[in-house]
Amino acid sequence: MLGLLWLIPAIPFASALALAVLRFPRKVVAWIAVSSIAASSIISLLVTFSFLHAPPAGNAYTEVLWTWMRVGDFRPEIAFYLDPLSLIMVVVVAFVSFLIHLYSTEFMAGDDGYSRFFAYMNLFVASMLTLLLANNLLLLYLGWEGVGLCSYLLIGFWYRDPENGLAGRKAFIVTRVGDTAMLIGLFLLFHDLGTLNIQELMQRAPQHWHLGAGAAVAAGLLLLGGAVGKSAQLPLQTWLPDAMAGPTPVSALIHAATMVTAGVYLIARTHVLYSLAPPAQFAVAVVGAATLLIAGFSALTQWDLKRVLAYSTISQIGYMFLALGVGAWPAAILHFMTHAFFKALLFLAAGVVIQALHEEHNIFRMGGLRKKLPVAFWTFLIAGCSLAGLPLITAGAFSKDWILWGAASAANGSMGFWIVALIGILLTSLYTFRMIFLVFFGEMHSEVTKKPGMAMLIPCIVLAFLSIAGGYVKTPFAHFLETALPWNAAAAGAVHISEIGSETVAGLVFLLGLVLAYVLFLRSRSYAASLTDNAAGAALHRFWFSDWGMDWLYDRLLVRPYAWAARIDKGDLIDGFYSGIAELNVLAWRVLGLTESGRLRWYAAGIAAGSIIYIAVVLFL
Amino acid sequence: MTASDMLALLPLLLIAGSSVAVLIAAAVGRNHAVAFGLSLSGLAASFCSVFFVPATQVTALLDIDGYALFFFGLISAASFAVALLAYGYLRNRDIDKEEFYVLLLVATLGAMILAASSHFASFFLGLEVLSIALYALIAYFGDRPLPVEAGIKYLVLAASSAAFLLFGIALVYADLGTMDFARIEHILAANPNPNLTLLLPGVALVVTGIGFKLALVPFHMWTPDVYQGAPAPVTAFVATVSKGGMFALLLRYFAQSGINRFAPALLVFTIIAIASMLAGNLLALLQSNVKRILAYSSIAHMGYLMVALEVGGAIGASAVVFYLVAYFIMTLGAFAVVTVLSAEHRDADQMEDYRGLFWRRPVLALVFTAMLLSLAGIPMTAGFLGKFYILAAGAAAGSWALILILVIASTIGLFYYLRIVVILYQQPGDANQPLPLRMPAASLVLAALTVILVWLGVYPSWMLQAIHTAIGSLL
Repeated sequence: MLGLLWLIPAIPFASALALAVLRFPRKVVAWIAVSSIAASSIISLLVTFSFLHAPPAGNAYTEVLWTWMRVGDFRPEIAFYLDPLSLIMVVVVAFVSFLIHLYSTEFMAGDDGYSRFFAYMNLFVASMLTLLLANNLLLLYLGWEGVGLCSYLLIGFWYRDPENGLAGRKAFIVTRVGDTAMLIGLFLLFHDLGTLNIQELMQRAPQHWHLGAGAAVAAGLLLLGGAVGKSAQLPLQTWLPDAMAGPTPVSALIHAATMVTAGVYLIARTHVLYSLAPPAQFAVAVVGAATLLIAGFSALTQWDLKRVLAYSTISQIGYMFLALGVGAWPAAILHFMTHAFFKALLFLAAGVVIQALHEEHNIFRMGGLRKKLPVAFWTFLIAGCSLAGLPLITAGAFSKDWILWGAASAANGSMGFWIVALIGILLTSLYTFRMIFLVFFGEMHSEVTKKPGMAMLIPCIVLAFLSIAGGYVKTPFAHFLETALPWNAAAAGAVHISEIGSETVAGLVFLLGLVLAYVLFLRSRSYAASLTDNAAGAALHRFWFSDWGMDWLYDRLLVRPYAWAARIDKGDLIDGFYSGIAELNVLAWRVLGLTESGRLRWYAAGIAAGSIIYIAVVLFL
Repeated sequence: MTASDMLALLPLLLIAGSSVAVLIAAAVGRNHAVAFGLSLSGLAASFCSVFFVPATQVTALLDIDGYALFFFGLISAASFAVALLAYGYLRNRDIDKEEFYVLLLVATLGAMILAASSHFASFFLGLEVLSIALYALIAYFGDRPLPVEAGIKYLVLAASSAAFLLFGIALVYADLGTMDFARIEHILAANPNPNLTLLLPGVALVVTGIGFKLALVPFHMWTPDVYQGAPAPVTAFVATVSKGGMFALLLRYFAQSGINRFAPALLVFTIIAIASMLAGNLLALLQSNVKRILAYSSIAHMGYLMVALEVGGAIGASAVVFYLVAYFIMTLGAFAVVTVLSAEHRDADQMEDYRGLFWRRPVLALVFTAMLLSLAGIPMTAGFLGKFYILAAGAAAGSWALILILVIASTIGLFYYLRIVVILYQQPGDANQPLPLRMPAASLVLAALTVILVWLGVYPSWMLQAIHTAIGSLL
């Protein structure tokens, strides 16, 4: 059964190809697109069953398809590696992708680019699954760039509006910064360790490098660079809010549930390297902690429903990074899974609301939709509670409390990280219920013009179920991950709080956020308004609203000086050198072109002269 | 000649037989489909026979070994593709069609003889069979000025270069008393200090004859005019089958006759390689005629092949053969696109014909893009791996100067390939261009070529394995 592994990415890829090249009627397009992902999900479940039933040797299975090329030590294989970590990721990605594809068949029904949309989406799923299953970093990089390409194509899907194209380009260029760092990291790893096979790398790294070796730290930081780009973490998070220009199912699939967690996967996959490089791992934790706070504050101030969710995604991935950084590896993966469920659901339900209100994105012009869109309301509420961490019931609470506990008790944890994570819970609870109260409670501001159909509601309901049930698997989940990704606990006595205590505090903070949101945004809006009435409050609001001025800062600090330098440096020596080469080539073309006179006698003379020259060469040289 | 010899000659006999069959069928009654069907079945039968024909030496002239059989397969497959292209091309034009297939089959036969030749006599025989059929093929549209001009140019220059070749063969024979490649090697090995004053000029003149067919500098000047004038399917044939057969011969000659032991001969090859790589790519730089661009680019590709040829040994030979396979695929693909887009009275050879092709025929534009990127040597395509193996062979032999020039030349080449790609995706300027004719057979060829192009680019092992077996008999 495990031999079917290669089909999981291959089927969506074949379907993407078919949709890109051939023309089908709409019904057939939807059928091909959805059934290919369904097939992938079913195969992934079969593989899971087989993996659990008869675990392969070493609890990992490698399927080598072929070797791409062979040059000395460089033998990149097209090969897939399945262990508990990649298995969990693949199942979640395939299944969530299936639900979102199903949802999209209705959501995109009226769109001209129906076939194009599904071709991109299938290609994305194929790339994402390749990324997850790759057994070497080169194939992983192929998947990495593949998802980046699809992300770009889908953000700018409605390309007739130049704004969307700009957002796509911004995403592509900003993530490219990270990708470049990652590529240099790959070169470094190959240079020092002589392989790109991930498992071999993880074996060789401890043999070649001692704890804290400079090369290990550098490699860890460079890979972290790639991860922060793809996962929209500080300082490369600025592309994700703009990426909301894409269709809502795209935001749900790529910019919430799957692609943006690729950085988390990369770090988890190479966790041996980070264990060798404590400064790099500490950097991961700091990036995560800082991002979760900054994005949490920004989410409080947004008026666009999708942008609130985007900042929330950045903040939640910050949690995952924090978990990775402190050594609570399995907690990061559990949070990836629960986040994939509830955040995908939040986006899908938001899509229902936005379509129902005729493309209205502003939460202040929504309100009172509880009665009109009951399924959307209940599923959004469940997902929101899961996001905010309603204790004991929701999946999000299990994973987040686990991270919180890890922040205090894992090997690199400290009370500082614990407090940051706690503030994050308050912020999450606050912005989540602000959103829920403004959209679904209070007075109606807009008319509902379109009711969602079954294809849109069923995925919401299934995900709502998962947003609750996904957390109860915590114990078997940790046990299953044990071989691939063990929990890295701190020495006894270094922890100043018990797990129950930490969870209780988290529950209280969640309640505090809920009450604050109720008072500020449902009970009386004037309280909220009074906060931003004074100059300081307004300035702070503006500051948070603009993502802590990051875009402004990058524009002044990087974009403008760069454009300026490029402008004034147009005709410098180096440039002259290259244009000189170009002109030299054109000159050579002109001169050589003279020989092509079209005259037969000249051509014959060329042959004769050539022979004479060659005879002279062989005789006299 | 025994029965097993006849069996070994089966791939050649099938081609020769089907050319006669087409001729007779045309004499009985003209029917395009019959001529086409007979040719296709002859080529297909020849291709299939390659897999079970026993490898033997047939007389002193033809060495039907694994290497020859590999090229029989490649050449018959390429001719098969050309026949499919020609069917749609000819059907829409007002001209007698049956003779085209006779000439195509005869030319294919000539190229196959070249690939199997182990003797100067069969070499010359194969060359002339190929050339004479090509004169007529190039000028097949006798009522149009360009094809006739191209045909006459090719006739005069091919004939005079053949004279150089004959004289070179005579000089070699005068010196060594044999025209058999293996015996040449034998004599040279036995006599460490041969008299070179006749032998080396003889080799240089033979190189002239070969260099003309391969369009190596400075025997290349006919290429753009002939490529431009010939009908697109014929151009595809000249670029692939004709050059491929000749290169197969050159590799065999180089590997078996032992002339690579003479430094001056190697120097000539080096000069030719460098000059061809640079001149080919530079000449194409700002050219506005797509057929001429492809002509110049083929000069450069032959130059790349010379680099690997000079390395010699198993690594050089397998690099040459792999690159030839890739070159066949991408060149056929590029000319197939030109064929498909050609209007009734004019081939689509102007850059303007391709402006905005993506918006009119997206799939065709993507296929052309793939072929051009492969010609430029972009990863995931057969062209990339082909160039990569050449570079690896050069690096193994330590010919860094040649490698450096190959890299520089490829960089220059990238420019004009991308120039075409950019044009493909620009907004179409002229909206009322006539819609090109539908050619189902040609579309089939394009689809198959694209699949093989990418297949070889990501999964080359099976082809490398086949090549490895083939060159085993050569070395």
